Amino acid sequence: MTRTLVFSCVVAAAMGPAAAQTMPAAAQTRPAAPRSKPAATPSKPVEPPAVVLARADEALAAKRVDEAARLYASVAERQESVRALLGLARIQSGRGNPRRALETLERAKALAPNSEEVLFAFARVALAARAPVVAILTLEPLARMLPSVMEYHYLLGVAMMQAGDMPSAVFALQDAIALEPNRSVTLVALGLAFNSQKLYADARAPLLRSLEIEPDSLEALAALAESEEGTGELQASETHAQRVLAREAGNAIANLVMGLVRMKQERYSEARGFLERAILTDPLSGKAHYQLSLACARLGDSAGQEKHLALYRSVQQEVAARLAELRGASGAQKGGTSP
Amino acid sequence: MTRGFCWLVLALLSAAALAQGPEALQPLFRDIRAEAGIAFQHHSAPEKKFIVESMSGGVAAFDYDNDGRVDLYFVDSLTVDTANDPKAARSALYRNLGGNRFEDVTDRAGVGHPGWGMGLCTADADGDGFEDIYVTNLGPNRLYRNNRDGSFTDIAPEAGVTAAAWSTGCAFGDYDKDGDLDLFVSRYVKLDLAHLPEFGKGKSCEYRGVAVQCGPRGLPGEGDLLFRNEGSGKFSEVGAAAGVHDPRGHFGLGVAWFDADSDGWLDLYVANDSNANFLYINQKNGTFKETAFAAGVAVSEDGAEQGSMGLAIGDYDNSGRLSIFTTNFSEEYNALYHNAGAYFSDWSFRSKTAASSLPYVGWGTVFFDYDNDGFQDIIVVNGHVYPQLDQARLGASAPYRQRRLLYRNLGDGTFEEVAARHGQVLTEPRVGRGLAMTDLDDDGRIDLVLNDLDGYPQVLRNVLEPVGHWLWVKLVGKGKNTSAVGAVVRVKAGTLVMQRLVRSGSSYISQDDKRQHFGLGKAAAADSVEVLWPDQTTTRLENVRADQVLEIRQP
Repeated sequence: MTRTLVFSCVVAAAMGPAAAQTMPAAAQTRPAAPRSKPAATPSKPVEPPAVVLARADEALAAKRVDEAARLYASVAERQESVRALLGLARIQSGRGNPRRALETLERAKALAPNSEEVLFAFARVALAARAPVVAILTLEPLARMLPSVMEYHYLLGVAMMQAGDMPSAVFALQDAIALEPNRSVTLVALGLAFNSQKLYADARAPLLRSLEIEPDSLEALAALAESEEGTGELQASETHAQRVLAREAGNAIANLVMGLVRMKQERYSEARGFLERAILTDPLSGKAHYQLSLACARLGDSAGQEKHLALYRSVQQEVAARLAELRGASGAQKGGTSP
Repeated sequence: MTRGFCWLVLALLSAAALAQGPEALQPLFRDIRAEAGIAFQHHSAPEKKFIVESMSGGVAAFDYDNDGRVDLYFVDSLTVDTANDPKAARSALYRNLGGNRFEDVTDRAGVGHPGWGMGLCTADADGDGFEDIYVTNLGPNRLYRNNRDGSFTDIAPEAGVTAAAWSTGCAFGDYDKDGDLDLFVSRYVKLDLAHLPEFGKGKSCEYRGVAVQCGPRGLPGEGDLLFRNEGSGKFSEVGAAAGVHDPRGHFGLGVAWFDADSDGWLDLYVANDSNANFLYINQKNGTFKETAFAAGVAVSEDGAEQGSMGLAIGDYDNSGRLSIFTTNFSEEYNALYHNAGAYFSDWSFRSKTAASSLPYVGWGTVFFDYDNDGFQDIIVVNGHVYPQLDQARLGASAPYRQRRLLYRNLGDGTFEEVAARHGQVLTEPRVGRGLAMTDLDDDGRIDLVLNDLDGYPQVLRNVLEPVGHWLWVKLVGKGKNTSAVGAVVRVKAGTLVMQRLVRSGSSYISQDDKRQHFGLGKAAAADSVEVLWPDQTTTRLENVRADQVLEIRQP
């Protein structure tokens, strides 16, 4: 999957600095769900859930995360509280455990299956947990029911990119851009989705617009270099890729682009160097492995060619397994008849 | 004519051109199928619930009766519902009567019911001076021996080339240089009609959420076969010994014998659907070494396996080397692998043939010089495999019925897609499969014959005006390879230096005219015509008049 890193970046952008900390404010202020079953007879007076949740919120605001987690969990255990579950999931996700957060949110979703806040949080955490099909299945109805909310279309697009369904991603991202045309991160995502389909000419406009809005965006610049390489504008592609590399020497896309440019210029030794650096940052880039095997072949290094071909094949198998796993989760993706 | 008058004429012509505007259509092809008397119709199940109902459609342009006119043979197919009724499908042989008129001679020839037909290739397999036909089938293949009296006899069982299973592509070629033609057969999927994969059931039976036919992914692939001609009317299957039997069962389709490394020996390229393609380099000892990855012709530039169907081989840049063009599935690009000598480079995007191909599922294709300017152009016929697709949200893919793509060679290594300039005959949505190149009326302009899936074919007569000078070269080999398969013709005309390869099997499971066409541009004569025969002997002619069909017999 050449796009591993890019998707990570897009997902990170989608999720904000920390997914859990950017959950909808509405979810955080939502009153606790009514008790659905009587509490056991207390041996000592029990604080009302609302009080505990307020203390949990205070603790979280004061960065006493362990205390906040304990308080949310205690309420969540005592009663079926959507607010407590959301708070707990927020902390779990912030601690880098999105899978656990997803389990917590599953419980919240069972309590409030039609809650926009819960569904939105669930989708975002699913994306962070690299469960794009789960996110898609949540975001699709949200985007359909609330078509004027840009964020749902955007995240749906990101989820589809993560799942490898680029044509559908383009539809969703275009819907998001129609609602908010000047959002740089959406424009970059659309450019990346076009690049992934080799629709390089189509990628140019959103990427250029993104760079107008955010001239320092390395992701946009690297993606623009990729599209230019694809359309055969090697000089422009090299200029932009080198600008990226001057600021981030390990940038996987820029190194890959430079490798491809050098391959086309038949400067195989230099191509090899760039491709090796691309793989260092993105070891799952099948394209970089494949091109590196070709560079070795052109240089007469048959051992290197065989080695990188083997690595390419193992990456292909790993990616295929991942895609099968993703697609197996819904069965709704491209089936693979003919390709 | 005075210079002033010339300027006046030019000015008037320019004004007329301007009046037409940039959108004016330029007639290039006219579909003469109906008026030519070709009533053939390809059959398939309307819903294409099984992959075997989507892959057929070979067509051949060849002169079966040696009368100097190119005849046509269309392959038809059965369906799952008609599988037990071999007469339900009727392939058809049409004899060229001249004047763009054809006569259906199928019954007299005895080639109407080869079985569940897929594709074909032709060559003089027995060295008697008449072209024979090999038809690939789901089930036993046919080797129709030309009886030299307008009829054919299937001798596949006696010759040992029935192959069985599901064969698709085929090509004759003398890989061992023993003077007679051997036969390679690509095969696709292992399929048991009694236990077909259920439509729409399973992970590989959906496309964008729509239930479709299953496969080829998810189905077991079939290995390929190499039949060595023993010279006595018998062939021996030597695929495994030669190293070309594909034990992993890639989904083989298009096939080409050509000398990829210019060492004088035929190598073999196999286009595989959804798998890496094969390039087998001839080791000159009866074996081959598979080198597609190292050579750069196995996969896309991303390293992705593509759904390769058809292929063309040609010296499109007049470099003296033969490059490869493969047609692929939608959302993949058709790949132009430029022959750089020691290896190939993927010049698909650089040549500007890739981006426009992304929405289409490509099949038949050929390098051909439709305007006789000395540079080979490219045509691709397209059509999806899923009729159900029109219910889906398509994204970058075109719907089920698709237009053709015509790439005009600009002479600088790049192409321009120009089909829309030439009207509906190329842009009308159809379900293309087979394609063969020829010149039905010997007027020097290349005509095309297209066999669509489940419908009437197109017989496209080239009516472009004006075109450059031209030369057709017909070779007659000595010995058993009278078709001169594997011979190379090089023509020099002014600054143009062109070469063509005589091939059996071409495009998508089809057969091009084996005569070789050269557009000479403004040159009224070729400075030289040189033939490199399969046995490495040469024939050279100088100062050859243009605008003729030139027959050269091997001394």
